[in-house]
Amino acid sequence: MTADRLWAALAEVQDPEMPVNLVDLGVIYRIVEKDGIVDIDLTFTAMGCPASDFILEDVRERLLREVGILEVRVNVVWDPPWTAARMTQDGRDALEAWGLAV
Amino acid sequence: MLSYSHHERGRESIGCLRRKHDSTRLRQRPWKSGILGWLDGGEWLTMATAAEFDQMIKSGELIESPREMTPEYKRELKHTLIVSGDTELISAPAYYLAAKRAPSINAFMTGIAIIQDELAHAHIAYHILEELGEDQEKLIFSRDPKSFRYPYAFDVPLDTWTELVVANGMYDQAGFCLLGDIHEKCSYGPWKRGLNKVMAEENFHLRNGRTWMKRISQAGGAAKDELQRAVDWMFPLSVEWFGLPDSLKMHSTQLEYRLKGLTNDQLRQWWLSLVVPYCEQIGLKVPAHKETADGKDVWELDYPFPCEFDAEAKRWDFKQPISWDNVLVRWRNRGPRNAEMVAMFQEEFHKFRKTHRTAS
Repeated sequence: MTADRLWAALAEVQDPEMPVNLVDLGVIYRIVEKDGIVDIDLTFTAMGCPASDFILEDVRERLLREVGILEVRVNVVWDPPWTAARMTQDGRDALEAWGLAV
Repeated sequence: MLSYSHHERGRESIGCLRRKHDSTRLRQRPWKSGILGWLDGGEWLTMATAAEFDQMIKSGELIESPREMTPEYKRELKHTLIVSGDTELISAPAYYLAAKRAPSINAFMTGIAIIQDELAHAHIAYHILEELGEDQEKLIFSRDPKSFRYPYAFDVPLDTWTELVVANGMYDQAGFCLLGDIHEKCSYGPWKRGLNKVMAEENFHLRNGRTWMKRISQAGGAAKDELQRAVDWMFPLSVEWFGLPDSLKMHSTQLEYRLKGLTNDQLRQWWLSLVVPYCEQIGLKVPAHKETADGKDVWELDYPFPCEFDAEAKRWDFKQPISWDNVLVRWRNRGPRNAEMVAMFQEEFHKFRKTHRTAS
């Protein structure tokens, strides 16, 4: 499945500020691929996220490295809002190891 | 509670207390002299002599509290922390004055987040200084601007977004090398651990610097010319950041006490090895090149170091070598923006205090 491959690719993209990847952080909501065009819904942990530009850049850059991907359309969504509950256990462990209470 | 009286101490002991229940420590290094043990709150305590303390530092042990330090170690640690705290603190007004020129709201938010990080980093250093007996409020709000101990580079105004991102790419890289070294080697545990967060955040600042430098360089034209001009004056200021060359600095108490692990020249070389290739990769010219001698890479500067700098014009005169004494005079006199930046936070504080008093 292409979608699985794309999820795995984004699990390699680190948050620019914290030692956790975007999938474990829980900010990737939906990935749909058709004819080489990827539509992705993602959110940020806060509306004033200072790393938003970097995250969008990293997501595009990483997905375009996948074979057969020609275009990446990123849709930033705020509903449902991100909360710490959206993190995976791995994400939580990584942030706790780093010294952040989650 | 820990307490001890002076007359009880051994001839050479200097008041470093070790908890005797830390048996590993004592097994490894039973104090040979100046031993004093007494029961205090149920714990036996011992004291190290200066020589034993130095040996402990050498063996790689961490110092965990002011009680364990010799006065000399404490003095040197405080000095190092003040330079670190002042550097982080002053970077906030320096960056803020330029961040106001951000080209977009997202860029501005990144700039502001970086400034917030820097203030938090300053707080870590000042907070530790407070534990060492200093008054944080006095350090920040009551000191004369000229007595702040941060690199001269910050005294030269950053006037544009371009100059701000070059500062993120070069000054923060210098900070990253200096703090990365302390993070790895520092003998003072609380600072070493405090730097975990600092290092991750400095990475983010570097990212902002490098990403924008690349973007502006790729844009070409007048934007790239402006970027190259910023690099031209900021590169040598960052090289100077690491201080006297090792050949002129024969003795480093900071190294002896393992407050840092690398010499000035080693840090400078590390910085060059990161900055020069990146600049070249994105199409910028920098006055340095790599040479390989005995299979080892050495970064050489293509200009006399140090040399004359006109801070008002932001221009180096590579035809005008100067002595390090001249540089030290320039550093001591501070640069164009020193008083303005310190006033930015000190005046507001005193204004706040005044209104607060009137109101209550």
